[in-house]
Formats: sequence, C-alpha cells, structure tokens
Amino acid sequence: MKKLRVIVVTFIALIMSVPVFSQAKKPTIMVVPSDNWCVKNNFVTVYDNMGSTLKIPDYRKALQESTELLNVISKINEMMTERGFPLKNLESAMKSMQNQSAEDAMLSSKSGADINETPIDKLKKVAKADIIMQLTWSVNQNGPRRSITFNLQGLDAYTDKQIAGASGTGQPSFSAELPVLLEEAVLAHIDNFNAQLQKHFDDLFANGREVSLRITTFSSFSGDLESEFGGKELSEIIENWVSDNTVKNRFSLSDATETTMLFEQVRIPLYDANNRPVDTRGWARDLQKMLAERYRITAKLMTRGLGQAQLVIGEK
Amino acid sequence: MKHTIQIQSLVLAFIFGITMSISAQNRKADKDTRNWIYEIEPVGVGSQGTYLIKVWSYSKKPIVALEQAKKNAVHGIIFKGFLGVNGIPGQRPLTNNPNLEIEQAEFFKNFFDGGKYMKFVNISNDGAVAAEDRLKVGKEYKIGVVVSVNVAGLRKDLEDGGILKGLSSGF
Repeated sequence: MKKLRVIVVTFIALIMSVPVFSQAKKPTIMVVPSDNWCVKNNFVTVYDNMGSTLKIPDYRKALQESTELLNVISKINEMMTERGFPLKNLESAMKSMQNQSAEDAMLSSKSGADINETPIDKLKKVAKADIIMQLTWSVNQNGPRRSITFNLQGLDAYTDKQIAGASGTGQPSFSAELPVLLEEAVLAHIDNFNAQLQKHFDDLFANGREVSLRITTFSSFSGDLESEFGGKELSEIIENWVSDNTVKNRFSLSDATETTMLFEQVRIPLYDANNRPVDTRGWARDLQKMLAERYRITAKLMTRGLGQAQLVIGEK
Repeated sequence: MKHTIQIQSLVLAFIFGITMSISAQNRKADKDTRNWIYEIEPVGVGSQGTYLIKVWSYSKKPIVALEQAKKNAVHGIIFKGFLGVNGIPGQRPLTNNPNLEIEQAEFFKNFFDGGKYMKFVNISNDGAVAAEDRLKVGKEYKIGVVVSVNVAGLRKDLEDGGILKGLSSGF
C-alpha cells in the first residue's frame, strides 16, 4: 500500500514537472487596398477639413464595386489558407462590425440600461488586424500590350514597419484579360511575400514580439514623470522596469518628457514565467501592477491589438 | 562454339562498359547537384502551387543531363532559389536556413537517392529539348530542360516531415 502511494505521488510529481507547451498568440492578417489604389480608382470619401481637402479610402464602396479587388483579395486569402494561415477578410470584418453596432444600439437590459460606449470605443471601431497586407496594382498600357505592376506590402500595424513585401511588373500581354493578369501577379509574388513573412515570424520567436508602449499622464495626476519616488524619478523607474522585462533588454525610448514617454522597438517575450502566451496587454499590466503595489500610483491601461499599449498615469 | 563464347564475352563486356560509364556519369551528375553545378531560370508563371522553370544541367551524356534536370530542379527550389527574368519574378528557396542540407543530410540523401523527389517534378514537352537548349561546352553538354515543380506539394511534404517550418508553426 505504501509502495503504491509512492508510485502515485511520483507519477503526479512527474506530470506537474513537465512544462506546459502553449502556443504564442497568433497575429491576425488582413488584405486591404492601399490609399493610393483607392484614390486612383475613386473609392474615396472627400472631407473638407478646415479648408484642406482630405480623401479617406472608402473600402465598402471599393469592395462593392470592384470585382477585380474582390478577386485579388479572394485569391490571396485562398493561397494563405493553403499555407495554413487563414486571413481575416476585410469585407466580413466590416459587415460584422456593422451588425455588432446595430445590435449594440438595440440592446438594453431588463431594467432598460444601454450598453456603455466611450468616445474612445467609438473611435476604435474600425476593421483592424495585427498585420496589414496592403495591396496596390496599376495597369500599364503600351500600344495593344498590357501589363500589371503589382505591389504587396506587409505592414506591422503597431510598429509601422514593413515586415514583408513583393512587387514587380509582369510580362506584357496582347490578349490576356485583366483578371488573368492579376491572378498571375498574385501567383508570381505570394511565395516571396510569405518567405519574408516567415523570416519575420522566425525573428519574433527568436527575439520576442516587437511592440510599443506609450506612457502619458492625466491632468488630475498630482506629479509628473520627473517626480521622485524612493530617490528615483518615475520615468527612470519605468525605464528600468521595461529594461528588466524585455528580451535581451531591447527597447528604445524615442520620446521622453515630463508628461510623455514613448517606448518603441520593445521586444517582449512570447511566453511568461508560467509558459503562458503574452501579449502587450498582459505585459503592460505587470508594469501597471508594479506601480500600484510599490509606489501607490494608479494607472489606466489601454491596448490596440497584440502590439500597442498605453498607460495613462493618475487614475483609472 | 569457341567463337560464340568470344562474341558473348565481347557483348557482355560492351554492356558492362556502357553501364559503368552511365553509372559514372550519374555519380558525377549527383556530385554536380551537390556542388550546385546547375542553373535555373523561370520560363513562366506556373499554375497555382507550381513553378515552371528551365534547368541547365551538365553532362557528357545528354540523357544523363536530361534525367538529372528533375533532381536539380527540386534541389534548386529547396536550397537555391532563382532570379527573375523579363517580368517573371525570381523565387527564394523554400528554406531560409543555409545549413539545412547539412543538418538534415540523412533525410535529403534518402529523399534524392531514394527517388521521392520525382513525385514533385514533371518534364514539360515530353523531355523534348530545343536546339538552342543543347550546347556543347568543352567536352560536356549543357542541356536546358523545362520542368514543372509542384512547389505546394513539396513544401507540404517537407513541413510534414519536420524539415521546414510552416507559416503558422508556433502559433
């Protein structure tokens, strides 16, 4: 009986000692036509912004009226799904947002209460993804011959870096129709694009996810980032924490004033100490907790997707 | 009787000689493949999941170069990639690990010598070589063969075998 108990205890200890292998948070990718393409094809909404004319891309109109755009997006989505990386579809994301807004407007509790929505929530209600595949093409006409200049850019939505790209002008053709030329362009460029995307992911696994963190203060905060706590300025405390909690201490503090700090190229680990996947929210929450526990500083945490966080110091 | 035996011996020696010569040429061709002695250029944008390429291989015997073209095509697409020409973009190799061939030597030995690579490659035009694609360079022939490689299938196979990482692996 004693022997059996020893075996059971050893077995449980063994199971508990095996690390739990979890998977990193998967970035979402979405194909979006570029501003350049939207303006050239007149899929824009024009605003008068205090005297200057602003052209904002109208994706809904583009998707409803341009069959070529729909075909190209569909082909890219199809090929990415084949590679085991299904994409977020722009049209579906926009429809789903529209439906959600309609439902939220109608929703009320039994007591008649509405859904809370701050102006920030409203502002953030746009179709978004962690990586944008920005698509541009133009048709070149040389006498009877036509060719396509195609450009696909992979843009990290949080660092604003181009992480992948493929572009070029295809072979001119006398007879091929535009959809055929466009399909050829996608087939010709997608593998090179994916090779660069793979390199980006390899870098992400080796050196951590690249994110940005912005620190600001509410006007109600009694001090500022130069206020001293335990002999150190608040900005120094924050900078030290960021340094201690990044992969190989990699980050750059690109802006620092008494009210603002902007950390860019911050490499956060993909997993925490318990081997659970980490995103920017989880990572920045640890900073928020540290400030609250050690220095009694309250801060409000806001995030954008997997890669951008803002901590506003002063209150919640 | 003695005469017949002499003829049979001669024929056997002749066949043995030819076999040995082709075998030596095949070994040389395999060595050339390992030493990257081949060239690849795109011919057109292939259908979805395939590359249409021309592979230039070298051998004293055109038939050996023709056969080796398939192996070179697959080898090149995995490890070497190719540059673009006239509006057809080049393609990067399937692996971005420059040491993969050495790290997975056993796998690739079986893959190429065992003939599994044949599953992913087809010779276009029944192997017919255009006159301008058959060049005599010194004592050797330089033969250009158009082949179609099923890159999607090849990549999937290497991913399933744990040789290449998939785009979503780790997520």
